[in-house]
Amino acid sequence: MKHKGKPSSLADTLFRAAIGLALLAVSLVVLVPMLNLLALSLSDPGRVGEVTGLTILPKGFSTVNYRVLAANPLFVRSIINAIIITVVGTAINLLVTSMAAFALTRERLPGRRFFMLLVIVIMVFEPGLIPEYLVIKKLGLMNSLWSVILYKTVNVYYLIILMRFFEEVPASLIEAARIDGAGYGTIFMKIMLPLAKPAIATLGLFYGVFHWNEYFRASIYLSDPDKYPLQLILRQFVVLDDTASLIGSGALFSYDEAARLDYGALKASTIIVAMLPVLIIYPLILKYYTKGVMEGGVKE
Amino acid sequence: MRNAMLKPRTLRTRFRQEGFLLVLLVPALVYFSVYHLVPMAGMTLAFQDYRIVGPSQFVGLKHFKMLFSSPAFFDVLKNTLIISSMKIILFFPLPLLFALMVNELRSVLLRKFVQATAYLPHFLSWVVIAGVWISFLSPSTGGANQARGLVGLPPVDYMTSKSAIRWVLFASETWRSLGWDSIIYLAALMRINPNLYESAEMDGAGALQKAWYITIPELAPTMITVLILNLGFFMSAGFDQVFNMMNDSVISAVDILDTYIYRIGLLNMQYSFSTAANLFKGAIGLVLILGTHSAAKRVTGKGLW
Repeated sequence: MKHKGKPSSLADTLFRAAIGLALLAVSLVVLVPMLNLLALSLSDPGRVGEVTGLTILPKGFSTVNYRVLAANPLFVRSIINAIIITVVGTAINLLVTSMAAFALTRERLPGRRFFMLLVIVIMVFEPGLIPEYLVIKKLGLMNSLWSVILYKTVNVYYLIILMRFFEEVPASLIEAARIDGAGYGTIFMKIMLPLAKPAIATLGLFYGVFHWNEYFRASIYLSDPDKYPLQLILRQFVVLDDTASLIGSGALFSYDEAARLDYGALKASTIIVAMLPVLIIYPLILKYYTKGVMEGGVKE
Repeated sequence: MRNAMLKPRTLRTRFRQEGFLLVLLVPALVYFSVYHLVPMAGMTLAFQDYRIVGPSQFVGLKHFKMLFSSPAFFDVLKNTLIISSMKIILFFPLPLLFALMVNELRSVLLRKFVQATAYLPHFLSWVVIAGVWISFLSPSTGGANQARGLVGLPPVDYMTSKSAIRWVLFASETWRSLGWDSIIYLAALMRINPNLYESAEMDGAGALQKAWYITIPELAPTMITVLILNLGFFMSAGFDQVFNMMNDSVISAVDILDTYIYRIGLLNMQYSFSTAANLFKGAIGLVLILGTHSAAKRVTGKGLW
């Protein structure tokens, strides 16, 4: 609502100022707990005691917590696993989802109505944990990264979003390519994929965040700690407070430093590392997904 | 026909072309089979006794009878309904309010800052959020209790208090979703015709009158859609959140159907019993989803499918 031209009354100005302050308070409530953990993780170990729950700047400066984590083979391994799961998983997501969306939007696809019904059935029925678990077990995928990578290969909602995108490609464009002798393969690769680039990029970001954040399938399918992704290590260390699993295995730092370590600060560092990739790609998400909403939109 | 201009294709090329479309669909079908269709068929386990070797034996409704005669099940059901009510109904007006407030901001910079910070938690995993909140609510060093201390209140151990923990779930859900869930309203607000406001102003309407007589009625279809689509997930109550925020002191207050199904299924390995509980939850969820979906379709003229 931008009604320009009219001078606003004092009451109006005060009203707006109050709203602005209230919204700033919301932002602070989101940011302070996160900045607090960042401050804790970067504070000098000798001054950690000075960091209260509302501190947002580090007391002194030290990277010791991050160095301790970087020296821990289990922690480093978990980051590598998370990267493998995220990169391979997202690539497979985009490939399989876009191929399916393209096929399902072609009128000549044999059995199209049946496949669409299948998609709806899958969207509505959740088979639940145990039946899925037993299938994964039977396929011999237990303790294999593939069981985690392939989970949610096709998110049905994303599939439908992409289908709507493909449906909007003008039929004349496809028809013209057809007359030039292009088959479905060429139409898919040369027309549809380039046109759907923004949609595919957005879905890629969402799929990527999903894989990076996944911990539950990993916790039920993977038994070998060497295969755990970062979120699962984070859960054990921070949520379940199982310090032995991480610290015990990685006694690679000097005895002096070990004695000075603060578990709270180490946990804070683990949380920061686990959210770092999301923070890095977050500007892209804002750019692709919420741009219009954030700038207040262009009105006629 | 659209293809009238094309050379009539031979049967062979048609076969090759349409076969190719099927090939494109194959990877998705394999995935659907492994993670959805075969497990769906596997839900018949609820009517059988699971055997590791050999075929499982049909036992009819045995596991459902066990379920309905177990007091634990009703505690869990009650928790699910309470927590869902808080997170769906009580939470419902908050993103709307947030969107209305953001919409009043004149400064683009402030607007962008508020939105960028408010949307962020939606992209964090519940493991991270649990970590942040456990630290923030810590009775000794957490920010929440520091703030209480500033105004002279004694510290509270929220995470282990049975009376506080559901409000922790509500608050952390709000923290995570307030901004993100407001997007749909902000988008709807942008579609309102500005002429409506201008003519209302000419008639002397104030800010509140404009909100009440124009904004709210214009947003009503969106509000109804959001509410009924969320009601479809009433039986879920948010597994990942509860799973990462519960502990032994508060389990009786926050154990929901999904955490119960997980525990009896994967930890106690009562596969059939767990599947029966899941099927019960799924059946009610299905009725809710289909019911709310057809309601949404009737109200707004279009559904999800």
